[in-house]
Amino acid sequence: MATRDNHVREGKILILATETCAYPGADSVGQAHSSYAANTYILRVRSPVLFPEQFYLDCFKKGISGIIIMSCGEECPYEGAYKALAKRVDRTYQLMKAQNLEIRRLRLTAICTVCNRAFLNEVNQMNEVVRELGPPAIGHGA
Amino acid sequence: MSSETKIETNPEKIGVYICYCGGNISDHVDVEAVRDRAEKIPGVSVARTNMFMCSDPGQELIMEDLRDGVVDRVVVASCAPSLHEMTFRSAIYRAGKNPYIYEHANIREHVSWVHHGEKATDKATLLVAAATAKAGLLKPLEPIRMEARRHATVIGGGVAGLRAAKDLADRGIDVVLIEKSPFLGGQTAQLDRIAPTGDRAADLISDLAGQVLQDDSIAVHTCASVEKFEGYVGNFKLGVKKQSAQTNAQQILAQLKPSGKKPGEFIPFAGLYPWPPPASDEKFSVETGVIVLATGFKSYAPYHGEYGYGELKEVITLPKLIRILAENNTAGSCLKIDGRNIRHLAMIHCVGSRKIPGVHPEDESGNLNEYCSRTCCSATLNTANIIRETYPETQVFEFYRDIRTYGRGQEELYEQASRNKVIFLRFEAQDSPEVSKNSDSDDFPLRVKVRDALTFGEDVEAPVDLVVLVTGMEPNNVSELVDMMKIPVGADRFLLEIHPKLRPVELSVAGILLAGTCQAPMDIGETCTGASAGAVKAAALLARGYVELDPFVAEVDLHTCNGTGACVEACLNEGALNLVEMKIDGKKVKRAQVAPAFCLGCGACVAVCPENAIDINGWTLKQYEAMVDMIVSDDVVA
Repeated sequence: MATRDNHVREGKILILATETCAYPGADSVGQAHSSYAANTYILRVRSPVLFPEQFYLDCFKKGISGIIIMSCGEECPYEGAYKALAKRVDRTYQLMKAQNLEIRRLRLTAICTVCNRAFLNEVNQMNEVVRELGPPAIGHGA
Repeated sequence: MSSETKIETNPEKIGVYICYCGGNISDHVDVEAVRDRAEKIPGVSVARTNMFMCSDPGQELIMEDLRDGVVDRVVVASCAPSLHEMTFRSAIYRAGKNPYIYEHANIREHVSWVHHGEKATDKATLLVAAATAKAGLLKPLEPIRMEARRHATVIGGGVAGLRAAKDLADRGIDVVLIEKSPFLGGQTAQLDRIAPTGDRAADLISDLAGQVLQDDSIAVHTCASVEKFEGYVGNFKLGVKKQSAQTNAQQILAQLKPSGKKPGEFIPFAGLYPWPPPASDEKFSVETGVIVLATGFKSYAPYHGEYGYGELKEVITLPKLIRILAENNTAGSCLKIDGRNIRHLAMIHCVGSRKIPGVHPEDESGNLNEYCSRTCCSATLNTANIIRETYPETQVFEFYRDIRTYGRGQEELYEQASRNKVIFLRFEAQDSPEVSKNSDSDDFPLRVKVRDALTFGEDVEAPVDLVVLVTGMEPNNVSELVDMMKIPVGADRFLLEIHPKLRPVELSVAGILLAGTCQAPMDIGETCTGASAGAVKAAALLARGYVELDPFVAEVDLHTCNGTGACVEACLNEGALNLVEMKIDGKKVKRAQVAPAFCLGCGACVAVCPENAIDINGWTLKQYEAMVDMIVSDDVVA
């Protein structure tokens, strides 16, 4: 992982976690005291379908290195939301490509309330991506 | 949005309250450093710490600041919001303020329990900062009030379901009780004399089920199961199917014939049989305000070959032995089963419980019951005492890992067993007893061999006539209900409460409560305690005649909306959003309008509005943008 000094900023990972599945899933990881990288910032969301494409692009522009959308997947309490979300993420990928942003920086996944191992895997994998790519150079893609 | 990271200054006065959680947080996060940094965040008027922010003095800190006008927005940084978000909203309400001016930062489950040192403190600071950014953009909201049906449904007709149904009816609530089998009494009906009091299971069930059947407020449906589920707290709708006589006829007849009992009576080892099932399948729906789940447990079934079970006919389970003893009319100083004298009887504890990964094999479905079933030690000792006191020539050997006779009057059973000269042999998990056919010349059919920890590892062999496996509890398979109602299930397959200590009978699905052994292994007393608690919680939800739902629904800014209808198209719940004609500034225009009772609050509309004219109250896009701004900020942790 990048060390925190004057020159190299540690890449920050934003996690959008659904309040019914992934957020309590992250709580469950905490309850198990399973350690993971501290560059992860979990925001509780009702459904990630709320976010327009521009939100993700702006996050990268602001300096977020990776975003994991931890949804409920097929268990989504809002019927149709997951499908709409998946389509939006696809469109976001197109826009990221157009801006020369590596699409591996954005990942859509499903995490359940007791999916501790899957949660840790996702965090570790995104950290590998962020380590490989470094923080996005603001306005210049990466 | 600006490409530069900047921290918006809010006119609000934000109070930040950071919890030590008695060391759970402060052992890894420098709470005072977080406080020092939080105090400098624009908009924050005060930042305080407390050993337990959820305690009365902790809550009083917040309430005092609110009453004194020091703060008008509240951020608490503590454990997971599922535990105490409601606690702090309620404190704000008690201080006479709007409970929705609140934001929670989770710095225990998401920080101190998973990170350490400086990084933990930095992350906690940023999460607090992000929470203040959101808090600055919060506005007071009013909950959506919906009429609640003063009616409860109890699923399961065992002791828990019966107790909960009676308690709810006593509170003046109409109850529907739905039981899958033709009998009332559940697993308790499979018992005889109950430890430690010696009460007859038949008497307990006849009394409780009798009260339920005589209560005009309770409609009991046997042979019934829930097939459909919809709605929300206060207004659930269930589809119920009752199965005809044919489906259950064999089971009922098999029970009725030998017992000579009629409908309305208690049938030993079946339960109270209130009435015959319907002549043909029936379907009906129930509109109800709350649901109490009392779906119970089943006794663990040993796998083929487990301690010789299924291979050696002299190996049986404890429930089977209890039934044999109850039905055994033969007198004499030695227990006789099927004409055979049982001179030596071995009981093996912890069968199907306290299994250890790597030591014990998983079942076919990959399950391993790692939990203690809690009730079996007392049940075993009780049975051993009955045998020793009734049939003094029958010697009992107990092969155990640990004796766990918790609770009033239960340790005495252990002492009584010692006085009754029950012989105890102790084994380690990895040295389970071995049961085999006896090839020696004596006439005992089986031998049980064990490395006895009480004699410091001596290999001991006992020739026996009968081996009894002390089987534990497993939750009943309620996967259909779990799927329909989206109920959380623990890794042990029991239903999972919101919090094991603070909210032990509530589920994360509002309006659905837990009762009894569907939640965890319990004895009958604990089951009734849990059932009564579930009934009280259910009654409390219905007491006001209405329920208040969180006001987290879409709201349209009519001045920004220009009526494109994109939100209506994206809406996932028909009827929640409509384009309607209205007058704005004297002009007739079409604008989006939200029907709050139908809005799910998912936000599908928010993402598609080209004008950003619609948002979800309490969870707005702008709030998320402000939170991200804080997370990327270097200023806060500088």
